[in-house]
Order: sequence, then structure tokens, then C-alpha cells
Amino acid sequence: MEYLLHIIILIGIYIILSSSLNLIAGYTGLISIAHASFYAIGAYVVALMALKFNTPLILNVPSAILFAAIIGFIIGTPSLRIHGDYFVIVTFAFQILTFTVLKNWISLTRGALGLPGIPQPKLLGFEISSLTSFLALTAALCALTLLILYRITHSPYGRILEAIREDEVFSQSIGKNVSRYKISVFVLGAGLASIGGSLYAYYISFIDPSSFTVMESIFIISIVIIGGAGRFAGPILGAIVLVMLPELLRFLGLPASIAANVRQILYGALLVAFMIWRPQGFIGKYTFNN
Amino acid sequence: MTQIIVNSLIAASIYTLVGIGFSLIYNTGRFFHFAHAATFTLGAYFIYTFNLLLHIPLILSAIFSILGCGILGMIMDKTIFSTLRNRGASALIMLLASLGLYVVLQNSISVIYGDHIKSIRVGEITEGIPILGARITEIQSITVMTSILILMVIRLILKKTNIGISLRAVANNPILAQISGIDSNKVILFSFFAGSAFAGLAGILVSMDIDMTPSMGMAPFMMAVVAVIIGGISSISGIALGAIFLAFVQNLGILFVSSQWQDAIAFGMLIIFLIIRPQGFLGRRI
Repeated sequence: MEYLLHIIILIGIYIILSSSLNLIAGYTGLISIAHASFYAIGAYVVALMALKFNTPLILNVPSAILFAAIIGFIIGTPSLRIHGDYFVIVTFAFQILTFTVLKNWISLTRGALGLPGIPQPKLLGFEISSLTSFLALTAALCALTLLILYRITHSPYGRILEAIREDEVFSQSIGKNVSRYKISVFVLGAGLASIGGSLYAYYISFIDPSSFTVMESIFIISIVIIGGAGRFAGPILGAIVLVMLPELLRFLGLPASIAANVRQILYGALLVAFMIWRPQGFIGKYTFNN
Repeated sequence: MTQIIVNSLIAASIYTLVGIGFSLIYNTGRFFHFAHAATFTLGAYFIYTFNLLLHIPLILSAIFSILGCGILGMIMDKTIFSTLRNRGASALIMLLASLGLYVVLQNSISVIYGDHIKSIRVGEITEGIPILGARITEIQSITVMTSILILMVIRLILKKTNIGISLRAVANNPILAQISGIDSNKVILFSFFAGSAFAGLAGILVSMDIDMTPSMGMAPFMMAVVAVIIGGISSISGIALGAIFLAFVQNLGILFVSSQWQDAIAFGMLIIFLIIRPQGFLGRRI
């Protein structure tokens, strides 16, 4: 039962991460492999604030969102002037950069040693320490993120994002400031991704750079693409499938040392297979063909 | 100061080797081949297997490994990328497929060989040969000379041979090349072979200098891509120029900030170049 709850919490975290990336990659068509950076920023901001100043959850999570959004703005403003494949390269480079900063800024992040002992959060007087209470917290934050995303994507603003994805020049010609839309959507996605990071830091209570590698970023974009980019339920489905699937491998009795690698081989191969046979994913709208 | 120049040249040689391979595949296949980073790593693990596990002499192992990487590149093209190309897939789809392939390859290496550092360094660790106050080890000097040699050979191939001319034709205008009777699939297959072989060669040289891990390919790949973009993706001499420029700025940067910020320097240069001069020093407009 505990195991099942753990899996559900993980799925919740990945739904937040992939749905926020879906806004950037699926709706607006900006493929980013930097999402684990914002995931990391959320986790580290929350962990450092909780450890150093013992501030409560209600202050930490919004600070993380704000900080990730600011970084998203600083990175997004120059890189979003670049199109298509080159944008992917820039986000890839930013992801590598984030990882080196986390690993080498020892005085702040303790480098590869990581930050242990992140205190358990309190919310409205309740101490969140048991698995069930974490599940409730995850469900609440997940629902909040999804609600925000639903409102964004089902608004006139959201329709313009899809128009930009389908035809950028056309959107510009009807008087839409395309670069402003792109930057704002990147900032929004970055801020929302940090919620996933906050949850992760509180839940695991230990973070180190190895959770926020390029592989993690590729995993998040795989969830979006395999689930179905550009559709609201796509990444939710993707997160459920891609988090559950490797758990099935557990029953095959693979040694623990290679389980993580086999998990990654599995989703890498799935990504290749989907690109060949079904680029729109299970239920997606965007086929990456323009 | 001489040490900075020497170190820059060594780094630039690796960036050039990886970059030439990357741009060959980009210019004919027209997509960003991320799995190139894994090919680089495989070069190192191939030579480890041939030399240390199968006891084949070093030079012969190196040749086998380079050919192995080249053939692997051809298999990648035959099984995945030509299928995608024939379906008219966009560059973005091919990029994502290549990204998936990279994940598969790197993790397969981890499963087979483990994540810990492996070494094929032969003999004692030496101080290196002194040149004008700087020091360079034997393998480092081989690295620099190899990349200069490859650079000259590839220029010659592109200018003088039939395959080189068809390669440039496909890079320049694939449809016109096809009309003129050039089999573009064959040309792309060849550039996958040559490009992957160069990546493998670079991987071998790096592994003999500073050992190997399954994720060793990512950083040099990223630097090579930055060098290619700085220099101009469509020009071979541009790549070498970009590589030297990037390596020199990175090594000079160490004088002012600590060495772990080399990645940040490269990232900054990438952004600056993509905005002010996306075609690079010597490239055509993209």
C-alpha cells in the first residue's frame, strides 16, 4: 500500500512537470530540454529556504515559483529569438549549465553531497509527515497547477499560443506580438514546473544534482510527447504510463544497480518508436511537422 | 601563457573532430544529431573492449573502434533516420528521435560496463614534453596532429573527390542534387559513416588522455556544437576557427573565474552568436 501511495505521489509530481512543459512545447511548439532546470530551481529554493531560515511552506513555494519565473525570463528572453532546432540546442546547453552550477557552487548547494534533512512542511497547522498527508498535498498542488493550466489553455490567450505553433508568421500578421507571447509562456511554464520541484524536495527530504540531469529533462519531454503534446490530458496520460511502466520491470527481478538504466533505455526507445510511428503520441494534437 | 595556448589547442582539436562529424551529418541529413554524443563515448568503450578485454594491439584496436563507430552511424541512419526521411519527417522529429537514441545508447553503455571510471592509459603518468615553457603529453600532441590531419584530408575529399562533390551538392540543394542523378540517401549514409567515425576517433583520444565514463560524450558534444555555431555550420574551416576561438576564450576565462565556469562561458557565447551572427564567422545565412 505504501508503495502504491509512493507511485501515486511520483505520478503527481510528473503530471505537474509535464503539464507545465506541455504549455511551452505542446501548445506553443517550443521544444525545451531545460525543464529539469526549473524543476531543480524549485527544489533547491525550497530546500535552502527551509534549511537556512526555517520558513514555512506557504512562503517557500511561492518564492520558488517567483525565482524560477525570473530565471525563465532571463533565459527565455534571449533564447526565444532563436527558432526551431536552435532553440532546442540553447535549452540543452542551459540544462547542462544548471547541472554544473548545482554541482560546483559548493558553498550554496553543497555540490554532489546534496542537501539532506529538509524539514517536513506544515500547512494550516497540520504537520505533513505521513504518506497520506503528502498524497493530499500532492493532489492539492497538482489540482491547482492543472486548474491554472486549464484556464490558460482554454482562454483566448491559449488559442493564440496554438496559432503561433501552427503558423508564426500568420499570428504576427494579425497583430499578435509573438515574442511577448513566447516569453510569457516560457515564464509561466518555468514557474509552474518549480511547484513539482518544491514537492519533490519536501517529499524526499534530500536533494542532490543527480536528480536534475539532462536525462531528467529528456524524460519530461518524453512524457509530453508520448502522452500527446498540445492536448490537456496528454501529459497526464503520459506521466501515468511512463512512471508506472518501469515499475512493472521491478517484477521481472532486475538488479537494482541497472534498474534506473533499464528504465531510461525503455523511455528512450519509446521516444524513438513514437517518432517513427506516431509522432503525435497517444492522444496529441501537435505532430512537430511545421 | 604558452600553457594556455597549448591547452586551447588540445581542446580545440577535440571540438573540431566532433564538430566536423556533427556538421557533416547536419549538412546532408539536415537535423541535429544528438546521438553523436553517444557515438563519441562508444569510441572510447570500443577501444577499451578491443584493447583491454580482447587484448588486440592498441593501433589495431583503434582502427577497429573507429570503423565500429562509423558502421554504427550507418546502422543508425539505415534503421531510424532514413525511415523518417522517407516519411517526410521534419527536422524536429529527427532531432527528437536522435535524442531518444542518445538516451538508449548511453544507458546501454552503463548497463554493460557500469558507471564507474574506466582507464586505458598505458604506462606511467608522465609530466609531458616541455615546449616553450608549456607541457604537453604524448597523447595530447597526437590529438592535435590528428585533428589537423583530418581537417586537411576532409577538405581535400570535399574539394576533389566524387563523393565529396556529391556531398556538397546534397548539402547545398538536395532536390537539385537528386535531379542531377546523385543518390542522396547514399551520400547521407556516407556522411553518417564519416561523421560517426570522427566522433569515435575523438572519443578514443579523450579516453586515452583522461579516462572514460558513460556520460563523457555530452560535454565535448555540447562544446563542439557551440564551436560549429560560432564558426558557421556550413564551413569546415569555420568549424576549426570556431573551435579555436571557443577553446581560447574558455581557457583565458580561467584566469579570471574558476574553471567550473567554462560551461557558462560557452553557453554565453552560444547565446551571443545565435543572436548577433547566427550564421557564424564563415557560414552562409541560415
